[in-house]
Amino acid sequence: MLQKIILITCLVFGSVYTKAQLSGSLESNAALYIDDDKIKLEKIDAEQRIRSNNYLRLDYKLKKITVGVQLESYEPKALLNFSPLLKKTNIGNYYINYRNEKLGVEATAGHFYGQFGSGLVFRSWEDRQLGIVNSIAGGMVKYSPLESVQLTALYGKQRKGLGFNFSDGTIGGVNADVKLSNLLKIKKVKFGIGGSVVNRNEKDKALIGLKNNTLLTSVRSDFSVAGFTADFEYTFKSKDALVEYSIIRPELQFDGDAYLINLGYTKNGFGITTNLRRLENFSVFSERKQFGNAYNEGSLNYIPALTKQFDYSLTNIYVYAAQPSIGFEPNRNKAGEIGGQIDLFYKFKKETALGGKYGTNVSLNFAQWHGLKGRYDALQRKYQAKKFTFGQKYYRDISLEVRKKWDKKWSSVFTFLNQYYNARYVEESTGEVNANTIVFDNTLKLKKSKSIRWELQHQWAQGSYKNWVASLVEFNFSSVWSVFAQDLYNYGNNNEAARLHYYNFGTSFNKAAYRVQASYGRQRGGLVCVGGICRFVPQSAGLTLGVNISF
Amino acid sequence: MNMYKLLSILLLFSLQKEVKAQKIPDVKLVTLDGTNFQTERFNEIVSKPVVLSFWASWCIPCINELSAINDNIDSWKSNVKFDLYAISEDDSRTAGRVNPLVNGKGWDLHVLLDKNQDLKRELNIANVPYTIIIKNGKIIYRHQGYVAGDENIIYKILKENQ
Repeated sequence: MLQKIILITCLVFGSVYTKAQLSGSLESNAALYIDDDKIKLEKIDAEQRIRSNNYLRLDYKLKKITVGVQLESYEPKALLNFSPLLKKTNIGNYYINYRNEKLGVEATAGHFYGQFGSGLVFRSWEDRQLGIVNSIAGGMVKYSPLESVQLTALYGKQRKGLGFNFSDGTIGGVNADVKLSNLLKIKKVKFGIGGSVVNRNEKDKALIGLKNNTLLTSVRSDFSVAGFTADFEYTFKSKDALVEYSIIRPELQFDGDAYLINLGYTKNGFGITTNLRRLENFSVFSERKQFGNAYNEGSLNYIPALTKQFDYSLTNIYVYAAQPSIGFEPNRNKAGEIGGQIDLFYKFKKETALGGKYGTNVSLNFAQWHGLKGRYDALQRKYQAKKFTFGQKYYRDISLEVRKKWDKKWSSVFTFLNQYYNARYVEESTGEVNANTIVFDNTLKLKKSKSIRWELQHQWAQGSYKNWVASLVEFNFSSVWSVFAQDLYNYGNNNEAARLHYYNFGTSFNKAAYRVQASYGRQRGGLVCVGGICRFVPQSAGLTLGVNISF
Repeated sequence: MNMYKLLSILLLFSLQKEVKAQKIPDVKLVTLDGTNFQTERFNEIVSKPVVLSFWASWCIPCINELSAINDNIDSWKSNVKFDLYAISEDDSRTAGRVNPLVNGKGWDLHVLLDKNQDLKRELNIANVPYTIIIKNGKIIYRHQGYVAGDENIIYKILKENQ
């Protein structure tokens, strides 16, 4: 039925297409997993060695109305370690949207994405690499009665798996943001306030003593004057049952809250910023049973790790993941996290001793995260956490990045990273790791838009995988064609059989809105992280093909 | 009706019609000082091309591209007319880092924030870096990725579209 409606809508819009506009994209990521002598798939995964994730998105716009659909196809099966609910071919998202800027109104029926404040109480978004497509299906209205006032109301159910499969909870939310300084016509100082309320309604008659509604509230403010900025957000979650190993425990209920402070100062050639955050029992899913699922399915809010995000392979081995949840276990009790990070950016000007001919860019980051100190009783499932006291150390890193252009052709990025990673708490496995990593990344421009890039990396680690060395060479024939070869070698691993080379080579073609990428080699097992949210992938070997077209 | 049929019909449908060149959808972004910026404004710029460079603070090729653009922008501006916007796709994890980074690097670029990636999604951009050039409200060039020297192609297109 729904397919017919969409088709008819498309045809109706198509018949008057002269004023309409169609846009869309096709993305396909496919793999052929081939075992080699060292890397073999698990038996269950090996049942299907060809896998692909495909997305076709079409938007049709006529004046103020847009209709859109996203078809998704996971055939014959989704890539390794994507949610088992992502299977076969079906509609992922569909929507109709009306937008009238003059009236300040926007309304959407169908699937939509959105965010309130920093996302602590609500964010729905899409990240195909992570397999996150947690749009809400229902209705959303945005209304802006004045330029400085934005009101939003939404209601619906969150998608899990494909487009007609929803989490049990029903989500309702309202949000308001007011730019007070604009409203009061104050120019030198800018300040604003915002607030949100989000409710999850989930009925479970079998569970006694559990309220249907769980309420999340957020209040926040932002302030900036002459290069200084300061943002504050406080959020609160009403009492909800503890979920352990997918079992809901209505007799054990806890509330939660979060504090977020961002401070910054910047002027030309210099910038400093700090993020401080305390989370207590603050992970929220649109269905209680989804708590802690490995695929980030049904996650209703956005709790990224507030650490620097790195872009090199060896700097992404020990990645901190935010710890917002309660977990009772003797010697590993958790209720949240507290900590922060500082970033500093500085440019040594041209024609100075450290700046040289082109100037030198330096950035420094420090991040440290702890558990919440308090009294924990794992047997009775009780705890009392102190407000602003640091408990068990979970993670710390210090990193330095220096960018230098030596002459017209040659430029380099040098990165140093020192990390402490408490795997016992962060991964709930064992051990602690101290690691130092260096990366030397060079680009050399050659004649006729050809260029070569060479990366050299080394990691010294005590514990876990121990030492690694890695290198990458990329040759760009033009802006269209490039080839690369890469190897990561875990030469220091205590287990001799695990001292593997993770080699990979491939090519990519980029022309206009087309991109095709193919590679062959080995994929290191571990966390794939985008924006501080991670997904585990097992190690594998084989061929991958990626295609991407926008129109 | 099975899904394959639906998929193929939609695909055919999208290919058979002569569709007008794509415009930039109207999405609300914010400037670094927190002012709203409607992307409809890009379509209203006539008589000169507009470069939209999509990037993120954590993306190394993006920083390489914007550094290269920033190094050249003064000499480009003395020869051709154009506007350039660097649109950050940083979400709330890293959006606070954008302003200090831009200033810390001494970039003299117009920067806009697309915090929940609404514009990126509506323009069907898979990954950053990504470059779009528009003229008279129509997209005339799209490019994914960045390798050293790609900035010269941007300049070439700007020259051709004066």
